[in-house]
Amino acid sequence: MTQELSTVQSWLQEQAKAHAEPEWLRQMRERAWEAFQNAPVVRLEKTDLSRRTWDVVPPAVAAVAETGAEAGQLIQSLTEQSDAYVYVRDGQVVQVRVPADWSETGVIVADLHSAAQQHADLVQQYLGQVVSVEESKWSALNAAVWQSGLFVYVPRRVSVPGTVHYVVEDTGSGVGIAPRALVIADAESRLAFAEVHISSGDKPSGPVRSHVLEVIAKSGAQVTVVTNHAFHAGPTNFSTSRARVENDASVDWVFTDVGDGFTVGIVESDLVGSGSRSTVRALGLGYGRQHLDLTASMLHRGKYSISDIVMHGVLRGRANSIYRSSTHIFKHAVGAGSEQHDRMLVLDGTARADAIPMLLIDENDVQRCGHAASVGRIDESQIYYLMSRGISKSEAMRMIIWGHLQPTVDAIPSEAVRTLVRSRVDEELSE
Amino acid sequence: MASPHFKITGLKVAVEDKEIVKGLDLEIRGGEIHAIMGPNGTGKSTLASALMGHPAYEVTGGQVTLDGQDVLDMAVDERARAGLFLAMQYPAEVPGVSNANFIRTALNARLGEGNEIPVIKFHRQLQEKMKSLNIDPSFAERYLNEGFSGGEKKRNEILQMSMLNPRIVILDEIDSGLDIDALKIVAKAVNDLRSPDVGFLIITHYQRLLEYIVPDFVHVMMQGRIVRSGGRELAQKLEANGYDWLKQELGIEDETVGAEA
Ligand SMILES: Nc1ncnc2c1ncn2[C@@H]1O[C@H](COP(=O)(O)OP(=O)(O)O)[C@@H](O)[C@H]1O
Ligand SMILES: [Mg+2]
Repeated sequence: MTQELSTVQSWLQEQAKAHAEPEWLRQMRERAWEAFQNAPVVRLEKTDLSRRTWDVVPPAVAAVAETGAEAGQLIQSLTEQSDAYVYVRDGQVVQVRVPADWSETGVIVADLHSAAQQHADLVQQYLGQVVSVEESKWSALNAAVWQSGLFVYVPRRVSVPGTVHYVVEDTGSGVGIAPRALVIADAESRLAFAEVHISSGDKPSGPVRSHVLEVIAKSGAQVTVVTNHAFHAGPTNFSTSRARVENDASVDWVFTDVGDGFTVGIVESDLVGSGSRSTVRALGLGYGRQHLDLTASMLHRGKYSISDIVMHGVLRGRANSIYRSSTHIFKHAVGAGSEQHDRMLVLDGTARADAIPMLLIDENDVQRCGHAASVGRIDESQIYYLMSRGISKSEAMRMIIWGHLQPTVDAIPSEAVRTLVRSRVDEELSE
Repeated sequence: MASPHFKITGLKVAVEDKEIVKGLDLEIRGGEIHAIMGPNGTGKSTLASALMGHPAYEVTGGQVTLDGQDVLDMAVDERARAGLFLAMQYPAEVPGVSNANFIRTALNARLGEGNEIPVIKFHRQLQEKMKSLNIDPSFAERYLNEGFSGGEKKRNEILQMSMLNPRIVILDEIDSGLDIDALKIVAKAVNDLRSPDVGFLIITHYQRLLEYIVPDFVHVMMQGRIVRSGGRELAQKLEANGYDWLKQELGIEDETVGAEA
């Protein structure tokens, strides 16, 4: 154990040296590593973590891998639609592209290591503010070992002309376990941001992975955040995405997961500001022996804060998914209101889905807080209706499932990412 | 394509093990309009659903053929591609699937692989038909029947009928929930489609619709059977005098299915 611990620590020291990490960052990593080591394996209500391994394996030598087909296609499309992206593969930054005409706006899109030097004040102030080091074993893990992170800053009143992409590819030959993004939208700015995770190898690398995304939407900012996972069987995946939403700001999340991985994820908006607003649209397509424990959560602390959660899942094979939508209205969040709609389609008798609505209300003076959840098979009368017009049964089912997912895909602001998600879904449905 | 010949012989249909249609014969040829009238609960929709192949309706006896081909042996989609069209009394709602996408997919399925209609041509055709049915252009991009009013659903069924080149058209209570203007529009769409290449079976319990779509044959259904057939004057007589005289003549007290015996 001690030996393993020192291996990771010496690897972290090498990395820190190589990236000339500032002292505060080294200390943060050390604190996080300690917290990770000491944190107990918590008992989750619907996910048994007791038999998952927590070994962190540093990569042997710098991995040399090729860009996979999916990543290559995406990068090409992003270049064609002249958007910004940071492309990382196996924990290493491969490419940073920011369109030339963006620079006069003052928008910063950089890898997190360089940002820690060039924009030290901002990074030091905000890193770990929204997703803290100690909040969970896996947040501590990420804070300790993240590599090839991303930093985005949008100055006041600036409207970013396109979408900023964070493309994270895991070929299976690197460590690739801990991507981290820090996104700051200053007052009254506008930003669309999309994370895309790509597993291109036969086997994902490492037994445990932890993703962290921190978003700060300052007063009046409008941010759209897209997260696309495609996790595959093998490791335990943790995904923590949270936004702090200040006065009159809004954050719209689009979360998609197409895969057969073992994943515990949370998408959360901390609605601290009065008049703040947030939505989550989530789409999941699980197959194989997928285990997805997804929580979409709204913390209403600000007055008149408004939220809406819509989750659509499709389950095949032996997939077992939990979609939890949680709204907490704190005391003094006068006039807050929320909606939840969860609908799961279970295609095979062997698949399982839970849709769990949760509502905690500590304030009496609130607006409507509604929720609706359903889990079921495809409606036979819908299949019959489409078939009665000549459409084959398999095509009818495909259309109905797509109808279930389409509105979420349409909510993705980037054409290239929409295309990618569409083809991920199509590929899985055509099996 | 040749004029259709649709033939129902001794058809029996059960729902949840209860026999609802009890031996029904009917022959429809291209160019003919047949009307089936009858009070509620006499098995009219059951007949229509069984002809289309709805999985809840089990055919327990008899034959149905289209141009000599065994219809009962075909899956629902094959029946549709053979030219059968049913405008349903209660069509399903399908969220997330746009009306236009649905109709185009259906039309292409009907036309067969390699004969798909070009997208632009399709949209032009769709807009034309929608206009003649007095349907708002936004209808095309709305999700299939989702949140449609009763009247809108009926018009959507007629729009599909007009777009899909059917050979045998069954309209189940297409007139219910329509005001007189909508009724005239629907009747016009049917009359426009009328040709030796299409046969119609119009199910209704009012004769109102039959003032605008003049039937060649009128059949009355009670207790799951056709109990009387005639020309259009039969419909007029029913309109003027109701069903009681016929029930008396036939010695039927309760005309609904399951009331006999
Ligand atoms: N899907 C169904 N499930 C159960 N019973 C049905 C169903 N469809 C029809 N029936 C029964 O069949 C009988 C005739 O109904 P229907 O065919 O709808 O009559 P009509 O269309 O003439 O009003 C009724 O007793 C009805 O309850
Ligand atoms: Mg009926």
